[in-house]
Amino acid sequence: MRFPVIGLSAFVIAIAAAHFAVLNALPGYIMDKARARFADAGLPPHTWQMGPRVTPQTQTIVRPSPDLAYGVCLIDLTGGPVTLNVPTWPEYGSLSVFDANTDNVYAGSLDARLPDAPGALTIIVALPDHEVAPVDGVTVVRVEQPEALALVRRLAPSQGLYDAAAALMPASSCGPG
Amino acid sequence: MKIVSGLVGLLLGALVGLGSALAAAGMVGPGVSLGGKIEVQHWTSDWTIGSSAANPWTRARVARHGLLALTRAEAVYFTRNTDDAGDRLTETCDYRVRGGALPAQWWSVTLYNSESYLPDNTDNALSYDLTDAAATVDPAAWSFVVSPVSSASGEGWVSSRGAGNFDLTLRLYKPQDDLIADPERVLQAPSIEKLGCGAAN
Repeated sequence: MRFPVIGLSAFVIAIAAAHFAVLNALPGYIMDKARARFADAGLPPHTWQMGPRVTPQTQTIVRPSPDLAYGVCLIDLTGGPVTLNVPTWPEYGSLSVFDANTDNVYAGSLDARLPDAPGALTIIVALPDHEVAPVDGVTVVRVEQPEALALVRRLAPSQGLYDAAAALMPASSCGPG
Repeated sequence: MKIVSGLVGLLLGALVGLGSALAAAGMVGPGVSLGGKIEVQHWTSDWTIGSSAANPWTRARVARHGLLALTRAEAVYFTRNTDDAGDRLTETCDYRVRGGALPAQWWSVTLYNSESYLPDNTDNALSYDLTDAAATVDPAAWSFVVSPVSSASGEGWVSSRGAGNFDLTLRLYKPQDDLIADPERVLQAPSIEKLGCGAAN
């Protein structure tokens, strides 16, 4: 009678352990795959790259918005903090940072129509043990792991607006410092 | 025998745990939503999307079906896969989506297939948004048709061609504070009326 009890206990414990181990590992795994897809497409770390205009033929991640122009930068904090500087936009826009576990750890507005909107938004992404000197108007975003991803969204439902958003990419920066 | 019984239990349990986790995350099937769920007139959302406060099931499901989603302060996402009669949205039927002013700086409604991707067509009619509504006679009473073929009436059109079973995602960017506080009261969510199905449309 003790054999089934041992087997049943092992069964229940293994279900819970495997379930939560897999569940907790999945976001990191999916983010790794997304980063690898960008890297395989030729995007090196610390470089802003404009995504193509979103269509069924160009989509690379789930649920992309065809109304937005996306820019992405892969962040690697192993060498120290990384500073992002992104111009604002005359319509809705945002700069966001996602950590290695897919959490949206920062989102800032790029909408130039907002009161006191700067001409460009600057943030610093750093690990908890990185020393970062405070700078007025600059937000420091802390993440737990060196791998992160920054994303710019700009409302651009027409080809003309997409082209205008793409023209801002050279004025954007993402690099150590 | 004790060791064998324990090993068999561990092996079977690990397989069940693996399968249930993949199913819960939507790696197989649509996934499950546990906690934090908000439903407004058949449109569902989860205020913890993108947040570190999200439970492991929500985080895994969003990573699979909504990677790089923003937190609710920046954007909220509502999804719906049934019409007003409760029937599954599908490419073989036509629908009219109606709505009014929405409590956000900007909004859009986009169609995705059951794999969470844009349907594979070249119709260039993937979404309807505030920009489209603002160009109509009455931006506070907008509507558009969802169909695999273009609307001859000139009404707004979102193409379902190639979508199979699909859902609509309502994005609300820079949502108003009262929407976050009380979504059931504040959001007048769009309706989805079925117009007809099959060749007799």
